[in-house]
Amino acid sequence: MKRIVFAFFSVFLLLMACQAQEIDTVNEFANAEIPVEQDKYQTDPIPAGKPAPVEPQDATINDGSFAVSLLVECKVLIDNLEKLDKNKRELVPADGVIFPATNVTVYEGESVFNVLQREMKRAKIHFEFVNTPIYNSAYIEGINNLYEFDAGELSGWLYKVNDWFPNYGCSRYQLKPGDVVEWIFTCDLGRDVGGGAVGGEQREE
Amino acid sequence: MTNDTFYGYHPLVNMLYFTVVLLFAMFFTHPVCLAVSLICAFSYSVYLGGKKTLKFNLKYMLPMLIFAALLNPAFNHQGGTILTYLPSGNPLTLESILYGIAAAVMLITVIAWFSCFNEIMTSDKFVYLFGRVIPALSLILSMALRFVPRFISQIKVISNAQKCVGRDVSNGSIFSRAKNGIKILSIMVTWALENAIETADSMKGRGYGLPGRSAFSIFRFDKRDAIALIYIVICAAYILLGSITGGLEWRYFPTTQGTWTRSSADGVLPGLFIFLTYFALCAMPLILNVKEDLKWRTLNNSGLKI
Repeated sequence: MKRIVFAFFSVFLLLMACQAQEIDTVNEFANAEIPVEQDKYQTDPIPAGKPAPVEPQDATINDGSFAVSLLVECKVLIDNLEKLDKNKRELVPADGVIFPATNVTVYEGESVFNVLQREMKRAKIHFEFVNTPIYNSAYIEGINNLYEFDAGELSGWLYKVNDWFPNYGCSRYQLKPGDVVEWIFTCDLGRDVGGGAVGGEQREE
Repeated sequence: MTNDTFYGYHPLVNMLYFTVVLLFAMFFTHPVCLAVSLICAFSYSVYLGGKKTLKFNLKYMLPMLIFAALLNPAFNHQGGTILTYLPSGNPLTLESILYGIAAAVMLITVIAWFSCFNEIMTSDKFVYLFGRVIPALSLILSMALRFVPRFISQIKVISNAQKCVGRDVSNGSIFSRAKNGIKILSIMVTWALENAIETADSMKGRGYGLPGRSAFSIFRFDKRDAIALIYIVICAAYILLGSITGGLEWRYFPTTQGTWTRSSADGVLPGLFIFLTYFALCAMPLILNVKEDLKWRTLNNSGLKI
């Protein structure tokens, strides 16, 4: 009887030890995978020479105004019409340009999102967004009724300022005079419109 | 509901009718289809249930319809026609409102059809139909459908009995009330479990599920049942064919359009025939009832006094 109890006890101990080791390895992996310096809104380090994000709640909007160029296009859909929902094909313009490159007024301290929202309203172009608190930014779900996932699960709207796809949300990008803002529809997480994917995990914002 | 004409038809006809009508109500989103189905379901349920159902429909279904219709535009901002902008900054579109109404109407319609289904497809009919094919499942289904009303009536019996021995939930301190309530519930659960086993044993004892066994109610498949069955099958096949070939096409986003709004070459006629057939199918029990009522009246008027 005593031997049986002892056998059980040793098996139990062995199992415990294995489990403890397992937990340790898991922790090591987890530690290894966390990148070093993400900010509190899960943004990777900003490349050198690029503007740092300005939180929309900290930005003060002044009366002083300047002009930036704004463009909204979905040219990539022209070649991928068969991927698009049948009912939405008519929404793609012949040249793929939804809002032609125009100089629009921006007030000091405004973000890319503010400008897009105002100009889409003014031009009577449909557009929908949702606020995502973990990234502290608005996420553009659809413009002109062309929505994320409408042309495959990797499709959605990306933005580009001065030929750079920022790695943070559009509400956190404060504009400067002369900036060139482009909103581009992608069918492949940005790889089909010239990069965009930083570290292979660019979020569509 | 024995004075309903459709009730007297063979269970196979009843079942097929409700299956077809419910499936069509759930899958056809064309506004005309929705309207036809809603009108038929509403009038048949009122015909079956009388004033009570009418009251229920107006009191609960109408607010539910309005609520469901208003809920959609609050969360769905798709659509090409922007009416105004919501305080959140997203657009309020005509299409999202229309889609909300359509979805709400569909919900109400299906509920109304199910209320008719409950009146017509009684459990003996259900067991008659499926007792041979899927004996265990059909017994469970008919027992489950009976469960709630039976539970309610039994709980009244038990609480009355407990009241007689002074252990009711209606008086005493909160603690003793709760104690009595739990006791009643415990008795209730014991009764329900025991009763289920008893029912199953009793069904087994009577040879339920064995070949050659007869049913509680005897249904004969008459000529009129055959005619009704063929009528349903032909109507359903025609509507299905029409819908497959695109006659019931409709979309809500990004702009509402479909059969009858598109200026296509096929014109008005194909859609019209499908809609008429759909109406003829949905209104079948009502038509049968009205026919029977008229016959009854003529017989009365012609001097046959009962």
